[in-house]
Order: sequence, then structure tokens, then C-alpha cells
Amino acid sequence: MTSLDIDPSEILVRYNVKMEKAMTPEDAAAELYPKEELFRPIAEAIFEGEEDDVIEGLEAAIAAGKDPIALIDDALMVGMKVVTDLYDEGIIFLPNVMMSADAMLDGIEFCKGQSNEAPVSKGKVVCHVAEGDVHDIGKSIVAALLRANGYEVVDLGRDVPVDEVIEAVKAENPIMLTGTALMTTTMYAFKAVNDRLLEAGLKVPFACGGGAVNQDFVATYDLGVYGEEAADAPKMADKIVAGASISALKEEFHKH
Amino acid sequence: MAINRYTKMAYGSADDMIFGKSKFPVKAGLDLEIGGGYTSPEVNYAPRPEAGASKEKLVKEYQRITTDIMNRMVQVGFPSVVLETEHVEQMTNNPTWGGEVAHAQKEIMEEFHDEYGIKCALRHTPGDIREDRDFLGLRGDKFNVLMESFEEVAANGADLLSVESMGGKEVFDYAILRNDVPGMLYAIGCLGTMDMDFLWQEIASVAKKHNVVAAGDTDCSEANTAMFIGGGLLDKNLAHTLAIIARAISAPRSLAAYEAGAVGPGKDCGYENTVIKAITGMPMTQEGKTSTCAHSDVMGNLVMQCCDLWSNESVEYHAEFGGTSVQCWSESLGYDCALMNTALATGQEKTLRDLFTLSDKYRDPQGYVLAYDNAYRVGEAIVKDGNDIYLRAKNAAIKSVEIMEEGAAGKLDLTRFEMGALTDAKAALEALTDDQDTFMSDCMAKYKEEVKVFLPENYGL
Repeated sequence: MTSLDIDPSEILVRYNVKMEKAMTPEDAAAELYPKEELFRPIAEAIFEGEEDDVIEGLEAAIAAGKDPIALIDDALMVGMKVVTDLYDEGIIFLPNVMMSADAMLDGIEFCKGQSNEAPVSKGKVVCHVAEGDVHDIGKSIVAALLRANGYEVVDLGRDVPVDEVIEAVKAENPIMLTGTALMTTTMYAFKAVNDRLLEAGLKVPFACGGGAVNQDFVATYDLGVYGEEAADAPKMADKIVAGASISALKEEFHKH
Repeated sequence: MAINRYTKMAYGSADDMIFGKSKFPVKAGLDLEIGGGYTSPEVNYAPRPEAGASKEKLVKEYQRITTDIMNRMVQVGFPSVVLETEHVEQMTNNPTWGGEVAHAQKEIMEEFHDEYGIKCALRHTPGDIREDRDFLGLRGDKFNVLMESFEEVAANGADLLSVESMGGKEVFDYAILRNDVPGMLYAIGCLGTMDMDFLWQEIASVAKKHNVVAAGDTDCSEANTAMFIGGGLLDKNLAHTLAIIARAISAPRSLAAYEAGAVGPGKDCGYENTVIKAITGMPMTQEGKTSTCAHSDVMGNLVMQCCDLWSNESVEYHAEFGGTSVQCWSESLGYDCALMNTALATGQEKTLRDLFTLSDKYRDPQGYVLAYDNAYRVGEAIVKDGNDIYLRAKNAAIKSVEIMEEGAAGKLDLTRFEMGALTDAKAALEALTDDQDTFMSDCMAKYKEEVKVFLPENYGL
């Protein structure tokens, strides 16, 4: 820069600096951890995203007589809720959620391996990337956030043919289907999925989002609910579990 | 074509860089000279969703788009324009479709050139389709289809060839969501560059064969993903300090296209292009404030600082009050270019450049590092070890950290979270070896284990 400079405070506002919470993430998390002494280290390990410490905490709890399957709800999900709540409040970032979700899923697998019982999820969600589209980071984030919130995810992957989506919905009977796409022409597959689901009498909410996908397009098909951001997916699922209809979901999540 | 690494800067100082002028201008298309003393709009568009249903519908859609843009350029009196057709997947997967679209577009552009003398060129950007459902397939059958697509568009009217390549993305997607800076370095700097070396030698050969221009790549699939996930000031999906580290590492990756024979103009969404222009002296397209139809960023004016073509990124073709969407956005681009060209004609270009830069330099760490003076320093860090694809990417990352720390000590405000992410990234970078072989073998072992879709054979490993 040769000659010019400015006082930036007169030109722009760093709202993120201005709005930053006084509390550190660690302080905020400490207020939310469970009080039970066997559960707290597990929740802390999930917050830190430390898989080994999660397993260590679970082993200690099981050795003390706790039921492995009950630990999923009582310790792992409680720890994960600390993480997702702080993410929703804007106190921690998405990578923290992803690392915590990895640790939680390792913990769930460990608990399942310690018991003959099967855990009960909040509900099943089928996720996919539109046919013709291989961009799947958005779908991976959606799937991780759903799992982090206690949902069972059937991940069909990317570039998924319409037929396969329909078959998966028939076979899995999910509470919700999600679709992501990056390009305008690939998102047209969502309309085909919608029409085929309706033909088959499957009125499952179909949450769509990503790249070029917009609310106007999604609103044109009956089952479509537009999700502006990945974090909307678990919120939609929660609403569905609570009994929300597709029109109620559109009312709430169609923001524009 | 051979690989010729850059080990020195094209420009003697950052201040020598300006919009509309590059050290090595590129002649393309119908009388156009890119970087030859003026800027031109580069208009980019996407067909409506239903247009992908058949080849006929797609060709018709692109004919409408092309006619609309050329008409508006002439109606408002702009002297030059570039059209960029970023392929929808149907066009690249069926190479003759892309060829027919290019042919139809070029016919229309030639008519306008013949009648009005408007300088113009057509860029085609086939999609990087080198993926199967489960894995990247960078060197398999899909690669052959991609190269057929380049052949078809080059033979049928495309003047500039580009792609947004995917090499390294499988590891990057995993790493970026876990604040894993070494993983980002491995994915973008090493795997990405190795794929670029492979891919761009082939594209440069096609361009040479058809006497068209190999115009460059962008790290859209990785650095732009980081920027997109980073979002605005209040979003909490990724610290912007990490997003700009990914961007700094993307510069040596995109540079590899030029080392394999590309000559510019680099692709619009390559926000790393200021660094690359400083190293290569070749012209660049950029996008910013006039691409808000496609996405938001925090450096809309700054990124105009050294552009040669000015793009809107992409807009879906549809009606607006002011005409069709492509007409509205091309007109906006045209006025932006008219202002830059007026500055050039009146000798005020450095003042305007500095105003563009200063309006966003302190808005965000991304703009701060990409301000042309700092971008030049990132370039110097890259060429210092230009022959070592690992070290030069590491140097770029470390330099961006250093620049942000300087900024934070001055007028660049960072949040505690951004500073925390920066501190963690710096520690991770400082802990890394200087030896490429050690880094590569350590990463190979780690990411083969952790990233199930990572296939080393995609990179000849």
C-alpha cells in the first residue's frame, strides 16, 4: 500500500468482535455438564472431542454398575447436548461439533458392544445428495448434526439415483428425507423424488438445501421444506417428532 | 507438456500490480486482449433447472443466455465481454452436448462481433466429473470423458479452457470440519497440486492442439468451500482465520496450472488469484461485490484490486425487473469495468486500486491477507521454496498466520475464537517437519486410516 490508509472503525463494524460472548466456551460448558460424578467426565470428553477419554469414562461407569445402553442417553447424549446447545448459541464452531460427534459415535458403538440390547433413537432420517451431484460436504454436515442430536441417519451418499431414494424411503420408513445439491440442474431431481414419493403414497417431509437450491424452487413441490442452513435439519426433525405437519414446517422454515 | 515451477516473482513489487494490466496479456477469441490495459466483464450463468432435461433444451437455453448478454452489452455501450459457460454435469458427461453448446454460443458472439465490433471471447469450464459415487476417480475412465469434453468444446468455439478441479477434496472435506491444518495442507498443497500437475499438462496439450487458451483452474472445491462454510461475521461454522489459511495454501495449488502450461486468465472464484498474478504476471478473473447473486463474501471491493476480467460468478437464468438475470448482472459488471477503465485512462488506477483494497482490508482476516501488498508477501513465501510442493504450501500457510498476527496487533480486530483458531493453527504448523517425504508418508498413513474414501492411487502414490 503506497500512500493511502484509513481508520477502519469509521468504515465498517466487526459485529462478531462487538457481539462476542464474555464467557469462554469452556466456562459455558462447565455450567451445563451433568452433576453425576460418573457421567461428568464422559460429557467433558465429548466436549473436548477426545474419543479415548470417552471410552475410558464409559468403562469406569460400567465398572461401577451403570447399564451400557442407559449410558447412551444419560451420559453420551447429555454431553453432546452441551455441545449442540453451545453451537446453537453461537459460542462454539461447527468443527467442535464434528469432533464431538465423532467421539460420541465411538462411545455409542462401545456401549452397543457391551450389551445385547439395542438403543432407541429419536427417529430415523434418510440423507442423500441429488442424482448427478457429487458435492457432499453439506450432506455430511447435515448427517453429523442429525446424529449429534440423537437421530439415526441412513446415509445414501452422493449422486443417488431417484429410484434408490424411493426404495430407501420405502425400506427405512424415515421421519424425514434430506436432499442436498450444488447445481440448478441437479436439484431438479428433487422434484422427481417428490413426485415419485407422492405416487407411492409416501408423504414424508423432504428437507432440501445447499448451493444453488433456493426456497422458491423447493416450495414448488408438496413435500419440500427448504433448509437455509445445515443446522436447520435437526430442528426440523425435532418438530416432526413433536407432530409438525409439512405445511407447519414450511411455515416455520421458509424464511423469505 | 513439462512442469516448470516458479521460483521467483513476476513483479518486482506489490505496487506494480494493477487491475486491467498484466505482465503477460493473453489474446483470445474475437480481438480481445486480456490484461492488455483494460478490464472486461466476464459473465457467468446457470440454466434453469428444467433446461437440463435434454440436449435440445440446454442448447436453446444457452442461445437465449448468449443473445441476451450480447444484446445488453451493445445496448449500454460496453466495448468487450467474456462469457463463461460452466458446464452442468450433463454437458461434460456427454462431451458432444458441451461442443454443441459452445458452437451455438460462438455463432451468436461472432454475429455481434461482425455487426458491432464488440471484442469478446468464450470460456468453457467442463465440470470435474472424475468421481464415482463412492470415490474420486481422478485417473480412470471419467478422466477420459473429461478430456473428450475439452476436445469438443475447444474444437467447437471455446476460446478459453478452464476447470475447477477436485484433487485433494476427499481429505480436505474431512480435515476442514475438524480444524485439522496439517490435513488441509496435505489435501490442498500436496494432493491437490499433484492432481493439478497431472490434469493441466493434458488440458494444455488440448489447448495447444486447437490453438485456444489454457486459462487456469481455481481451488473452488477446497478454499471456496472453506470460505463458504466460514460465511459471514456472525456465522459459527468455521473460524475465518482458518478459512484464509486454506486460501493461502490454495495459491500454490492453483499455481500448478500455470506451471503445466496455462497462461490465464485464472478462474473468477479463485480468490487466491492476486497471489498467482504476483508470481506469474498472467491475467486473472476475479469476482466479489458483483457476484452476490451467487454467494456472499467479506471482500467485495478488495478483490477487484488486480483483476483483469470481472465476473458475477454465476446466476440462474430467469426474469428480473431490469431484464433477464444475465442482462442485469452483465450490465453491473460492465459499469464496474467502465470505472476501472476510466481510472486507467486518467492515470488514477493506483488510487482506485487502493480505495478498493482499503474498503475491505480490515473487514475480515481473509481480506487482510489477500490485500495485494500482503498477497504479494504470500507469493514470495511460495516461490522461496518453489520446487517443493509441500514446503511452499507450508510457507504460504505460515506467512498468512504471520500477516494475521501483524494485523491483529494493528487495525485488524479479531474475536477471541478467531485468535484461538489462529494460535492453534500456528502451533500445528510449527510442529511440522520440513521434509516433504516424511510429511507425505505420515499423512498417507493417517488419512488412509481416517478417511475411508481416500485412494492414494488417484495421485499416483
